[in-house]
Amino acid sequence: MRFCNWLEHTPFIVWVSNSVIASTIVELTHYFSLFLLVGSIVVVDLRIMGLAARKRSATQLADELFPWMWTGLALNFLSGFLLFAGDAKTFYVNWVFHIKLTVILIAVVFGIFVQWGVRRWDRPPASMPIGAKLLAFVSLALWIGSILAAVEVPALTSVG
Amino acid sequence: MYHLLYSFCQWLENTQWALNISGSTWAYPYVQMIHFAGLSLWVGTNLALDLSLLGLGRRRQTPAELSSSLFVWNWIGLAIAVTGGFMLFATAATSFVINPAFRLKLGLLIPLGLILHIIIQWKARNWGQTMDTPLIAKFAGLMEVLVWLSVATAAVSIPFYEHI
Repeated sequence: MRFCNWLEHTPFIVWVSNSVIASTIVELTHYFSLFLLVGSIVVVDLRIMGLAARKRSATQLADELFPWMWTGLALNFLSGFLLFAGDAKTFYVNWVFHIKLTVILIAVVFGIFVQWGVRRWDRPPASMPIGAKLLAFVSLALWIGSILAAVEVPALTSVG
Repeated sequence: MYHLLYSFCQWLENTQWALNISGSTWAYPYVQMIHFAGLSLWVGTNLALDLSLLGLGRRRQTPAELSSSLFVWNWIGLAIAVTGGFMLFATAATSFVINPAFRLKLGLLIPLGLILHIIIQWKARNWGQTMDTPLIAKFAGLMEVLVWLSVATAAVSIPFYEHI
């Protein structure tokens, strides 16, 4: 809590929070990186489930999109941290925010599983193993769940 | 024309399903989730193609191949985003329709983005035959990123104009 208090009052965070332009840029970065992150992983998950881009190899698609997923995650984390820092004490004790972070963490772990597994599972002309499809479905559901948890923070607790 | 639009918004806002969404603490976030999930698919796949046209990232497919790989879910993403967006609009239609940021977003920037996106998808088959895209393809990709950034800027500005 002392760290949150210090963070909230650092000159840079105070400047970002009070500047309309800076806070809009941070907010836009947060949204766009979310789109890049979720859009890339969801397309790979759908490909593994056999529902997207069936003419192309899953490995090829994953190789192309995963760097964007990680870029999106890094930018989302950075912008999310700046948004958190502006109201750190409030977010720190917010139970819905804790759920949001937990769901995101689990979704990232599943994203790593998918990235590790895709090359092994991709053995054309055989279709993807059922376990891979299930893992991809869970990954997709977790990302949708993380969006839901994110919008529930202001809806249930009027924070953010 | 404007009166007709405003009357439609009044009717829409008072339909039972719109009242159910706006009056429920759980339904509204679910509708927001639909809008953002659709946007993630739509904007995420748009960005992937634009960045490929710009020659950025680890490229395993030509932009033409990537465009065809992403095509179906790209438009499904838009359909989901529009469905969620329409439901959010319906909860406060009369406020949205007079909001300058919303009018800029829906009346100018989104149509512009859609036209540009259709041109890019149509042309990507030729522009993206090889990894080395022509200058016009790079310019179009950059323009599309900027247009969707403008759409998002207008969207996050909507609350600033709520009480004007």
